[in-house]
Amino acid sequence: MFRKILIANRGEIALRVICACKELGIPTVAVYSEADKNSLHVRFADEAVCIGPPRSSESYLNIPHVISAAEITNVDAIHPGYGFLSENANFAEVCVASHITLIGPSPDLIRLMGEKDRARREISAAGLPVVPGSDGIVEDSSAATKAAKRIGFPLIVKASAGGGGRGMRVVRKQSELIPAFEAARNEAQQAFGSPDVYLEKFLERPRHIEFQVLGDKHGKVIHLGERECSVQRRHQKLIEESPSPAMDEKTRNELGARVVAALTKIGYTNAGTVEFLRDEDGSMYFIEMNTRIQVEHPVTEMVSNVDLIKSQIRLAAGEHVEDAVGPIEFRGHSMECRINAEDPETFVPSAGRITTFNIPSGTGVRVDTAAYADCVIPPYYDSLIAKLITRGRDRAEALARMRRALDMFIIEGVKTTIPLHRKIFANAQFQAGNFDTHFLEASGLITTHGK
Amino acid sequence: MAPKKKNKQSSSAGLPGLDISEIERLLAFMDKHHLEQFEFSRGDFRVALKRGWDAGSSVSAPARPAPSSGGSSGRAPAGEAQATASAPAAPAAPAETHHIIKSPIVGTFFTSASPDSAPFVKAGDHVKAGQVVCIVEAMKLMNEIEADVAGTIVKALVENAQPVEYGQPLFSIKPDKK
Repeated sequence: MFRKILIANRGEIALRVICACKELGIPTVAVYSEADKNSLHVRFADEAVCIGPPRSSESYLNIPHVISAAEITNVDAIHPGYGFLSENANFAEVCVASHITLIGPSPDLIRLMGEKDRARREISAAGLPVVPGSDGIVEDSSAATKAAKRIGFPLIVKASAGGGGRGMRVVRKQSELIPAFEAARNEAQQAFGSPDVYLEKFLERPRHIEFQVLGDKHGKVIHLGERECSVQRRHQKLIEESPSPAMDEKTRNELGARVVAALTKIGYTNAGTVEFLRDEDGSMYFIEMNTRIQVEHPVTEMVSNVDLIKSQIRLAAGEHVEDAVGPIEFRGHSMECRINAEDPETFVPSAGRITTFNIPSGTGVRVDTAAYADCVIPPYYDSLIAKLITRGRDRAEALARMRRALDMFIIEGVKTTIPLHRKIFANAQFQAGNFDTHFLEASGLITTHGK
Repeated sequence: MAPKKKNKQSSSAGLPGLDISEIERLLAFMDKHHLEQFEFSRGDFRVALKRGWDAGSSVSAPARPAPSSGGSSGRAPAGEAQATASAPAAPAAPAETHHIIKSPIVGTFFTSASPDSAPFVKAGDHVKAGQVVCIVEAMKLMNEIEADVAGTIVKALVENAQPVEYGQPLFSIKPDKK
């Protein structure tokens, strides 16, 4: 087992990893920017190293500083959390060269899944259905026109180096194709450093359903069921749940088995999430894979009785998946709300000092947060204040618990999305489990000003 | 004859900061009473000391005080305590303001270019802006750290081979008068 682990992240996920390490008896090192000096993850780690000024690029994304901190504190493993360096293949390689174990898959797997068009091809070759699309990168306008003829309209132009909903453009007819293609290439170059784009059929009313997987270093891969994350705004997830109201046992078992077979073939290790879009006719299509722990991992933990972070650490230390993960007990239903420091109507970020912070608790309620009364939410990072997770015997109970918990979650000093979450949970369509990724806008719960 | 005003300041509780000897006294106090954690705050000032125990060992030698922002050096003996102190930014000496040269990177501080060579600077030396004052080694690269002002070195604030974090004070320097 590891001697000491450095957490290359901040906020609630850094604290989450520290919790897992404490339970495993492994000392921890926190790294922090000057803006996070009074953070909880710094407070609760055994050691802490300041790695830069507030800007992410100079601190949490600064590979030399993170590695240096790992060296001077003599750690043998790094957990990268999510975001930041967690899917940076270069960082993964630097860890290998520095003889530090990165808690995640290998640099090659990270790179493979980070190149979205390559991932599509490999996953398709490994036996999973993918959204019909172009055969790899579309180099120029004539290739785009040819591919579009085969795929049909509407289609979507996607940046190969993008992902997570960024660098995408929908095209509904032939006349829009070339302008959109060229604009997408420009945007991709600006945002991701590569103009490479590929084309996919655009599903009008999809549901976003993803499978949690875990692989050990001995060739075994398992899945822990699916999560539904269709309630999104501009491709940013707001609410997640497990199991998906749209999934039945038969489909879950069949698709799950195919996912496991494909990832076993690819040789996947550690935690990962395989994302699908479910078309209106029930067909499931692979879109991308994330080679890290996800924000919404708690909903899977709640319905499977597995500690995913401890599993990650144990898998990285070489344990077999049965030992690393332990007994799996699927029961009940779980939901999660991402509480952000944003105006619940305009979504303008609201940084500042939290003056009142009353966390809900009681049966079936879990809150993952690094905020506390009198803390400051800095403007330099994402706006996530807390994840509010509930579980219940069934979806109705998990939902009722969430409504109760949202009522009792009091945050003052900054604006939060709690009022929006309360509206969503009061919405009949949401309660019926009848929604797709356009639900939020279609329901009128949020207004889109084309921003 | 007017009485001479004596301007004596005690070195204990009145000042906003703690010096190393006070931290040592606190650590000895913790040791004596087998305390694992100690926190004190008054107004803007707060100090938190936390001892890290090995599973099997009991209280041994009194702990060495660690540098004031975490980042322990190498293999720590059982019972090494870690101190974090946050004090308001009050001027230490009323008469002159010293400039602090801070580390721009994370790494290990060295006073000289190699184990056999002389230190780059010592207390009392005058340095020009841009002059190399020390090395901070990071990922096997020896980074030369330069003085950002011209002035006279007052003292080194860290020891040779000590790990340093971003922003850690390395030297206090009395800037040349303009």
